[in-house]
Amino acid sequence: MAPYTNIPLSPAELSYLYTSLSQTPPIRPDGRAPTQFRPLVAETDILPSANGSARICFADGTEAIVGVKAEVEQSRVSGAATGQVESEGVLGLGTGGVGDVDMDEEDGDEEATRAGKGEEGWVEVAIEIPGMRDDDALPVFLSAMLTEALLADGELKDRLWINRRFHWRLYIDILLLSQPLSYPLPLLSLTTHLALLSTRIPALISEKDEDPLFNDDWEASRFLYPQSKTASGGHRKPPVTLLMLSVSENVIADPSREELAVADAVVAISVAPTTGLNAESAYKTVALRTVDPPSRLTGAGVPTALNTTAGGTSLSAAEALALREKDQGQTVWRPPRGGVKRAMIAKMIKMVTEKGGVGQEVLEGLAGVET
Amino acid sequence: MPLDSSSYSLAQFSTQAAADGSSYLEMGQTKIICTVNGPQESKRGGGSRDQSNAARIETDISIAGFSGVDRKRHGRGDKRTQEMQHTVSSAFSSTLFTHLFPHSTIAIAIHVLSQDGSLLAACLNAATLALVDAGVPMSDYVVACTTGSTASYASNDEEADPLLDLNGLEEQELPFLTVGTSGGEDKVNVLIMETRVQMGRLEAMISVGLDGCKQIRGILDDIVREHGKKALNSRVN
Amino acid sequence: MPSEPAPSTNEREFILAALRENTRLDGRALDAYRPISLTFGNDYGTADVRLGKTRVLAKISCEVATPYPDRKFDGIFTITTELSPLASPAFEVGRQDTPELLLSRLLEKTIRRSGALDTESLCLVAGQKCFHLRATLHVLDADGNLVDASCLALIAALLHFRRPDIEVHGEDVTVFDPREREPVCLTIQHRPFCVSFSYYHAGEVMVQDATLLEEQCREGEVVVSMNRFGEVAQVAKYGGPPVDGLSVLGCMSAALERVKGFDKMVTEKLKEDEKRRDAGGLMAELSAENERPVEGGDRVML
Repeated sequence: MAPYTNIPLSPAELSYLYTSLSQTPPIRPDGRAPTQFRPLVAETDILPSANGSARICFADGTEAIVGVKAEVEQSRVSGAATGQVESEGVLGLGTGGVGDVDMDEEDGDEEATRAGKGEEGWVEVAIEIPGMRDDDALPVFLSAMLTEALLADGELKDRLWINRRFHWRLYIDILLLSQPLSYPLPLLSLTTHLALLSTRIPALISEKDEDPLFNDDWEASRFLYPQSKTASGGHRKPPVTLLMLSVSENVIADPSREELAVADAVVAISVAPTTGLNAESAYKTVALRTVDPPSRLTGAGVPTALNTTAGGTSLSAAEALALREKDQGQTVWRPPRGGVKRAMIAKMIKMVTEKGGVGQEVLEGLAGVET
Repeated sequence: MPLDSSSYSLAQFSTQAAADGSSYLEMGQTKIICTVNGPQESKRGGGSRDQSNAARIETDISIAGFSGVDRKRHGRGDKRTQEMQHTVSSAFSSTLFTHLFPHSTIAIAIHVLSQDGSLLAACLNAATLALVDAGVPMSDYVVACTTGSTASYASNDEEADPLLDLNGLEEQELPFLTVGTSGGEDKVNVLIMETRVQMGRLEAMISVGLDGCKQIRGILDDIVREHGKKALNSRVN
Repeated sequence: MPSEPAPSTNEREFILAALRENTRLDGRALDAYRPISLTFGNDYGTADVRLGKTRVLAKISCEVATPYPDRKFDGIFTITTELSPLASPAFEVGRQDTPELLLSRLLEKTIRRSGALDTESLCLVAGQKCFHLRATLHVLDADGNLVDASCLALIAALLHFRRPDIEVHGEDVTVFDPREREPVCLTIQHRPFCVSFSYYHAGEVMVQDATLLEEQCREGEVVVSMNRFGEVAQVAKYGGPPVDGLSVLGCMSAALERVKGFDKMVTEKLKEDEKRRDAGGLMAELSAENERPVEGGDRVML
């Protein structure tokens, strides 16, 4: 059982929590608005030995540190690579850079030559959670989700391309420093986002396919996510993955541990700023996963009619089942059986990506973090 | 040799709310986060209850992949790390009042974020702070530092002053030892040396190390008292 | 988890009280070792050390392997320690626990890190071929002081071992069978030995070569490794109650005396063994049959 599931709440408390969260507007235990985030403490560029790093403390005391390290690695020369020789120099021929017409001074040219040449294996995400082995389900699943979101824009891997023979290998080491009190995905994702934003890579001095030589001057290094504006006026940024949860008809952002315990459905939505020119919204969903909510593992309550100590009668198994089915969670707590309406997911996505939505709030909040 | 106390100015208390005690320590470029949970019922093992009549101290040291110059994953099974874990656990076994907490565990988790020498010493110092923060009763701080000998084999000058508090480069070049004290000025709690050195030089190295420990002890004590004052004031207001 | 039965309170009290009066259960002086016996096996590179009831067998073997890519000019030298249930019911197969970890780390630091064996001499062709020297340590009976016995056995075995002679032509390496060419000694740069001290009564009583019972009652230990020239290879005091800085230094000088004794004993035993092997004398060695080079056949080409 995952460690974040052992929630010391009784069926009565769960039922109370569920009912208050189903009100319009929902009443959250800590009095927050449905889309309001808890305050967090963040700092970036904390480690001198890493290319980029960040640390975030959530309000519940959980804390994570991410260090990003880039190392030069020799590319495997494949047949495809040699076949691409002629196409080199032709702008935008790659597959990844479609719609990404870059207007930067010198960046643009460079960006185009490397488009589509990156490989997904160049980004390696490793998650360490205290008390868990590296191959336990939770770290593996979390790192798969984060990698998926990071690679979704197709640009990151291209930026790791140096020349035909060499590339950067990006190691993203994520350390959860505290016990995982609630589902740690948002914490890890936000920290990774900040670390990647602060990640800098030494400037290349050598040309073409020479063995790469880099500028020693750290001041001259360039950011992995360029700080220049994109065509749509926004910044390129790594995605953040947020948890959205539905209770009855309500959607709630940044769920706390107790709220997760009564969720009907939990969805992890990865959102990133759009870089295209004529995009309708400034933010787009890059990945989406439903998460098995811990509420499914909570214990069900016993209806009074079945409670023999409170004057109820002991019924046969079939009758008891019928009674529980009829109750449908009206009077006592019953763990949700999973399943979420399509409209609910659409509502969640909209809340995250719309202008002034949750995604924008978080990304802008994180942009304000000083290094 | 006076110790550069400014490099210790970055020692912080209660950095993490989720743990019972936590600390952050910088010794030069060696940066460590330490959290303490407990004393608590041991989590390990279903069924067989912990029947010991004193608390067990469990240490877990994880060295981050990005902590060194090159990225390297340190597995948990690494013998050197395991040895350090054992050292930290047994160093505190004599200073903590473990007999007050039978059937329980005190878990020390140490995260090495950046390493540049004096790793074991930094781990011990950070663990002391975190244990104080967690309120685990103890008879004394465990403080540690490294000393290195600069005298070369050839010149054989025993007079040369040993260095205090080595960084990563110095550790690679010089014979060095880690010395930790508790319970009195000349009491050696931990003494680990892994490099070849002439016997005659050890005496000077150990005495300089003990002197360094005394200074660090003063620094840690100031931090603890400062923190205590703050905590007390916030209680009053 | 099986473990050694702890001594009863009475037993413990008695031992501690006796030690306070500088008396040990078996009547030894505090700094005396139990009788040590060192014997070599028929094969090169086997040493059997008995220290009272403690018995350790070390065996060295070697094979040709590829060096590690980051250490192209070095051979490979690994030390494996095996604490099997054979020695004590407290040891379990396949589970690595603290005693085994500490034993292997101490040997590693004493012998490998201090550069007792010249690993460069094990390199055949840089980056391609080298000798992989394996030292396997079997603890046959555990009655305290495993570290000293193991280290002694290991050093003796390394000194006793002969590796096959080789010839290198460019990238071709010929490894000669022992019958073709006399195997050669390893290059041992110095001989470090471990001496462990158990202490009692807050470091006031230091005891060498503790038996299992004494180890169970001790407060802590100090392990010193050094060679006979007084070069300290390693010192380890893993926590435990603090002891006076001066008594740690006292350990050093006591260890030096002890190590000199070890060194002398190993040298003598090696000489004895040499004599035993060299039964036929020089004439047998010089007989003409051995001089003739063997064509093909036995030669191992790599």
